[in-house]
Order: sequence, then structure tokens, then C-alpha cells
Amino acid sequence: MRLLRSDHVTGWLLVAPATLVLVAFGLIPIAWSAVLSFQHNDLLSAPHWVGTANYQALRHDPVFRKSVHNTVVYTVLFVPISIAAALAVAVALNTRIRGISIYRTAVFIPVAVSTVATAIIFNWVFDPTYGIANWLLNELGISSQGFFQDPDQALYAIVAMTVWGWIGFDVIIYLAALQGIPQELLEAAAIDGAGRWATFRSVTLPLLSPATLFLVVWSTINALQLFDEIYNTTRGGPLQSTTVVVYYLWQQAFQFFNAGYGAAVAEVLLVAILVVTLLQFLISRRSVYYTS
Amino acid sequence: MRFSWPSPRHLFLAPLALIMAAPLIWMAITSIETPDQARQFPPVLIPHGIDWHNYTRAVDSAPFGAWYLNSIVVSLVVVLSNLVLCSLAAYAFARIRFFGANVLFIALLATLMVPFQVILIPTFLIVRHLGLIDNVSALIVPNLVNAFGIFMLRQFFRTLPIELEEAARIDGCSRLGVLIKIVLPLSVPALSTLALIMLLWTWNDFLWPLVAINTEKHMTLQVGLSTFQGQHQTQWTVLMAGNVLALLPLVIAFLLTQRSFVRSIAASGVKG
Amino acid sequence: MATVEFRAVTKRFDDVVAVNDLSLRIADGEFMVLVGPSGCGKTTALRMVAGLAQPTAGEILIGDRVVNADSPGRRDIAMVFQNYALYPHMTVERNIGFGLRQRRMPRAEVQARVREVSTLLGLEDLLRRKPAQLSGGQRQRVAMGRALARHPQAFLLDEPLSNLDAKLRTQLRAELKKIHQLVPTTSIYVTHDQVEAMTLGDRIAVMSAGRIQQLGPPQEVYDRPANLFVAGFIGNPAMNLLPAAARSGVLTSGDLRMPSPDGADGEVILGVRPERLSAAGDGDARPAFDITVDVVEPLGSEIVVHGSRVDSGAGAESATITARLAVGAMPAAGERLRLAFDPAATHVFDAATGAALRSG
Repeated sequence: MRLLRSDHVTGWLLVAPATLVLVAFGLIPIAWSAVLSFQHNDLLSAPHWVGTANYQALRHDPVFRKSVHNTVVYTVLFVPISIAAALAVAVALNTRIRGISIYRTAVFIPVAVSTVATAIIFNWVFDPTYGIANWLLNELGISSQGFFQDPDQALYAIVAMTVWGWIGFDVIIYLAALQGIPQELLEAAAIDGAGRWATFRSVTLPLLSPATLFLVVWSTINALQLFDEIYNTTRGGPLQSTTVVVYYLWQQAFQFFNAGYGAAVAEVLLVAILVVTLLQFLISRRSVYYTS
Repeated sequence: MRFSWPSPRHLFLAPLALIMAAPLIWMAITSIETPDQARQFPPVLIPHGIDWHNYTRAVDSAPFGAWYLNSIVVSLVVVLSNLVLCSLAAYAFARIRFFGANVLFIALLATLMVPFQVILIPTFLIVRHLGLIDNVSALIVPNLVNAFGIFMLRQFFRTLPIELEEAARIDGCSRLGVLIKIVLPLSVPALSTLALIMLLWTWNDFLWPLVAINTEKHMTLQVGLSTFQGQHQTQWTVLMAGNVLALLPLVIAFLLTQRSFVRSIAASGVKG
Repeated sequence: MATVEFRAVTKRFDDVVAVNDLSLRIADGEFMVLVGPSGCGKTTALRMVAGLAQPTAGEILIGDRVVNADSPGRRDIAMVFQNYALYPHMTVERNIGFGLRQRRMPRAEVQARVREVSTLLGLEDLLRRKPAQLSGGQRQRVAMGRALARHPQAFLLDEPLSNLDAKLRTQLRAELKKIHQLVPTTSIYVTHDQVEAMTLGDRIAVMSAGRIQQLGPPQEVYDRPANLFVAGFIGNPAMNLLPAAARSGVLTSGDLRMPSPDGADGEVILGVRPERLSAAGDGDARPAFDITVDVVEPLGSEIVVHGSRVDSGAGAESATITARLAVGAMPAAGERLRLAFDPAATHVFDAATGAALRSG
């Protein structure tokens, strides 16, 4: 059985480098994060155990509650808006009319623009005094708005900005899925007497459901992790109206040096992401159709 | 040719394209305006002449060159190391039956379930323990391998006909020889998808470089740009010029390779 | 070149026994065909010689050397795969030379070998092409060329013709035979096609359920099948098998009567090949039975008649009869036909064990 033994050796040699990196910077941090959440750690002096004190404190921390609230509102708005808009845009783009490649490029291009650059552009677009957003609103007969500087609007402005940044990615996924729908199915539906809307509802939409599920799960995870765009626009303000969970985590650990407390926030986030993802998969079981 | 009415889709798509493009176009316009023109309302949509001073001021006031270099070095090393190390591991998981393979594979995949934000703090502590904080290698070492690459390549390798690999082994190739001479040349589409995804992730990564780097000249483009914004609050023309400089390479790369770019993203279904 | 030997080889996959205590010695230069239905263990046996599968028990020898522990590359064998397994990213030339370059053969020598086999196989004009630009038959030839160029100890061929259409298959079958006559390398050829087995093999090993049912030259296997499985598997159309009883020297099947071979007693199966049947003439003294004609297939050179026995007492196995008749009067469907045969040209098998009691 020498050959078999040599397969064990070869296999482990091939996976060893990857395993080393992923254990050191994946598995160990996962475990350590859980440990940290039961410690006091100011990133400088020796950590000590505090039991569940961090979690107890979280329960009564108004800013944490606010950050959870903001994250939930953001996610509940961002996920359906971006996906529904992407679906409409993808269906419109799934054609061969003149100029379609210009339209596609315009929709896809933000995919290549980093979150930081996006934030800087929208700081300017949404500038209350000189920004073109207010100019456009004025042209439409609407008065100027505060956007990022208005506590009642900042979170919605963030939603608008991130939809702009993300929609291209969603459209790419939907377009690929649309092009994967067998033409015969649409023709069969037409022969069966289905109109355009009926065909869309009863053939196209169900066949897009795997793409939709992917986008819902992926967009939700990303929405719950929102950070870059907040850091580079509102820094959680005004009046903590855009303080989201990961921003709060970062603040606690790296501004206030409460790494243990930040780790507790991270653990809550992890559980939330796992539960939400699991729920989405469970709910989707009945409504996702896989061809072939 | 007969005249035909343009498709009604234009009525939806044209304003949409304009809205999508407007922020970028306005950034470009502002970057060549004088500060006076930018500080007017209603805004000056067509600048009077081109003013390149914003670009020279941006480059003079911030180490864009160093930021570019750092971003390029970090992205290049991370992409290459992912291609090599993920290929090796993915091939073993795809084709070799070795002790503990299944358990190990699941354990490595588990790292994909946990977002980086969750392990940010312990990762910082580990990297600091290694003495790498504020060093460009802090941005490289933790990202040498991504479990996503292992998973994606393993799935792809499994679609290749196994007879090719058997034929190569009969022809005298070792396992590594089979991987290098047969499997990898046939996996160019998957490898280029992985390379593009890792490039997007690494080039646009923000949170980790923000935490790991303090010194300005060690920063990557994204963190540098963020500090640049902090230093030029409300100097919109300079800020937009810097922003153009920062996002131009990836946007140009996108425009040049749009087809394969889009195909790769559709194939992987991932943006970071 | 070398002998290849299986010594009591068994291969188990979990609880399925794919190859069961196989012992077989293939002589130097011999063309051995392993033939049998899918799942009989023939491919597993071949893959164990290649080193792509490990025996659970027993030894495999190439020449005088036990190779169980050797990697496929060290066994110095060449293999032709059913789907050819040509490297898609390499030209024909590089495909043929790949194994040689792996063995660090000097470039000039590799080129000479490639030239030699491409001349032999008529591939000279295709050397710069990639596999995707070749037809099925050309790919098959390249796969052969890749094996030949190696000058290996043995050739292993796994259903190499089964992906081709019927005409090309016949043509390449003949080419394979010619090549083996020119380059008599020890060859193990796996197929489920008994025509390939008959035409190519110096000897054939008929396999079923992981065991060799019969081993011998093709004609001998055809003429004297060792048991019911071989009788039914070798020959196309298959041998007619009639349930019969042997009592004190007389064999009866329905109203059919003939002398029984020695040692036959009790329930037996009478086997008659389709070409041994002919229409019974008036006053024909040969044993005969009646059928109702179901389907007639005129093939030009002969007529194949499918029918059902009409005798009372005929069992289920005798329900259908196939006969290859000389061209002449064309029977019609539904017609009754009396078929006679020479008792010396029949086979008799024990109904319980399936073993041959006499082969004509």
C-alpha cells in the first residue's frame, strides 16, 4: 500500500501552505474573537476575564441599540430596493437595441469604483450648498435638502449611494441568469397563450429564483457589514443617525480601545448574520427552482 | 432601409444611464474647474476651459505615487499567491484521497462563513504580535490564501475529465506534474476569474488597511484617498482630481476588458 | 515487451467485489482481449495493470517484477482510453511526444519517434493541429500514436473503438490488427463487443461477475463455450437455448428427439447456433422443431428469421428462436416453419450448473 501512503503525504503537502494561512488568519481569529468577547482588552495592557460583562453592558448600551436599529433599517431598505431595481434594469438591458452597450457600460461601471471613491463622489453630489443633487431637485421644483448633514435623511442618502455602487453587480448576475433561460421555455409559454407579463411572472421569475436567492443572501451579508461608506461620509453622524454595527465595533476597538467590548459586538454580528442567512435559505426552499 | 421607431426601452434606459453616469461625469468636470467655479449654485455644468492645477496640487500634497506602488505590490502578491496556493490545495481536495481531507475542507470553508469584520480585532492582535503593523506586509500575509479560491478552483478542477490526468500519470507525471502540465493549462478561465476577483477585493479593501497602517507613505490607495479627503475637506476640485487619479486605473481596465470582466463576475457571483 | 500476469488478484470497492481471485498470464507479444458485459470487472482489471487502481489482494506482475507498489508512470505501460484523453491544450505532435519528454528523452529522439508513429498511422499532416480540430477517427489514431511512440512493455486499451460510428469502427479494428502484426507488443484489450474480441484476440477471456468464465483462442471459445454464460454472450445473433430433458441416452425437448451425449441426465439446455439451423426438407431425417415466424430480416447475403417455438411443453427460454438461413424462399411473418439441425453441431449444458456437457 505504498502508493496509498504516498497519496496521504502528497495531499497534505499540497494543502499545507493554504492550511497554515487559513488556520492562522481564519480559524484562530474566529476562536479568539469569541474568547475576547469575555475579556477586558484595551489593546495595550494584559487582558483579563470579565465573564459576560461585555454582553451585559451591550444590552443597556443606547448607542449599540441605535447602531442595531440603523443597521436593520439600512438592510431592510437596501436589499429589496437594490435587487428589485437591478431586476428591472436587467430585464430592460436584456435586448439587442441600438446603443445597448453604452447603457450597459453606464450601469456596470460603478462596479469598478471603490467604496472610498464612491463615498467621496457622493459627499460632493450630496453637498447641501453646491451639490448637483439639490440642483436636480430644484429643477424639479423641490427645495434643497441636507442629505448627509440631516439626521433624518443621512441613512436614506447612504442607501441611495450604496444602491448606485452595487446595482451594477446585481445586474450582471441577473443578466447572466436571464441569458441562461432556455428560449424554448419562453416560446412554449407563448404557444400556451401566456402574455408578456404572465410569461414573466410564471416562467422568467421562477427561473431567476436561484440568482435572486444568491443576491438576497449576498446583499444582506454585505448590508450588515456596512462600514467603508459610513467611515468616508458621515462617520456615524449626524447625531449617530448612521452609526451602524460594524462602525460601532471599529470605534469601540480602535478609537476607544475597548477591544473586548468590540469583540462582543462582533459576536452578536456573527450570530445575526448566520441566523439571517440560515432563515433565508430555509424560507427559500419552497420558492427556488433549479433547472437541470 | 425603412425607418423604424426606436424601442420604447430607450425612454427608461437613457435617463437611467444618465443617472448612473452623472456622479462620475460630475466628478470629472469638477476636477478640471477652478475652485471659484465649483463654489457656485446652480452648479457650473460646463466649465470655462480646463484647469489642470487641481491635479498638480493633489499630486504635490499627497504621496499618490507611494500609495499606487503599495496598492500594486499588495494586489500583485496577493493575487499571485492565491493563484498558486489555492491551486495546490484545490487540486488535492479535488483529486487526492488523503487522510482527513473532508474534515479539513469543511474547516477551511468555515472561514468563509465568518465575515472579516468579525475577526478584525483578533487579526489585528495576531498581526501586531508578528510585528507587522504599519508594514505593507501586514496587508499581504493574512490574505495570501482565501478559502473562496480553494472552493471555486476545486469545483472547476472536478469538471475536467479525469482520464486526462490518468493518461498523464501513465505518461510519467507526478501529482504535481499533472497539476502544472495538464490541469492548470486547462483551467485558465477559472484562474483568470479568481485573479480578477482577488484583484478587486484587494485593490478596494479599506477596513483592514485602515486598521493595520498608520504611516501615510505605507498606505494603500484607498486608505490614502480617505486621509486625502480628511486633509482637503471642502476643497472639492482638488479632492475630485485626487479621486479621478485613484479610480482611473480600475475603470480603464474595466472599459478595456468589459466582456471578460463581466463574465468573470457573473461566473463567480462575488464582489467584495 | 514483457509478460503481464495477474496472481490471485481481488479488487473490492466497499462491499462490491469487482474482480474476484483473478489469475491470468498474458504471454510476451500476445493480444489478450477481456470481454464481458458492463460491470464484469474487465476495466477494473485493466486499471490495476495501469496502476490507476490498487488490488485489494493478490499481485500484478509486468515481466518478472511485482508492480503493485509502482506508480503508473513507473510501470512503463501505455494506455488508450475510451474517450482518447488527448491533452486539449497540446498539438498532436506534443500529445504523442508528451510521455517521452516526461521521461527526459533527448529532443531529436522524441522527434524521430513522433515521425515514426505518425508515418505508421498517417498522421503526418495533422501534427500541428489541436485535438479539437480532429475528427473522431483521427483522435483515435492520435491516441494510438501516443501509446505506440512510447515503445512500452505493454499496451492497455480500454474500449478504444466504442466512441466511433460503425463503419469507422470496422476500419480501425482492421488497422489495429495490422499494427499489432507490425509491432507485436503485449496488449490487453477491454471491450464489451464480442465481434472485436473475436477478430482481434490471440486469446480472449470472457468475464462475468469478476471472474473469467472461459479463456482461450476466439474460435475455440466460439466452438466450445464452457458454460451457458459464454454460449449466450459470444456469437451474434446469440445461440438458441432450448430447455430439454436427457433420459437413458435420449434427449427430448417438446416433440424434438435426438441422441443424448454421455453423462447427460436430467434437466439440460440444448444450444444450437442460428447458422446451424436450416429449413427442414420433406423426409428430413435430422432432428427438427416448428416455429411461427415473427420477423424476417433479409440481409442480402442471408436471411435472419426470428420466431417462436410452437411445440407444446416448450419452456419460456425457448419462446424465441433465431435462425440464419440461406437466401431462397422468403418466409413470411405468421407462417409456420420447420427448422432442422445436425445433432453433432449442438451444445448441451447442465441446466442447474450451466456447465457444458458437450460442445459440438
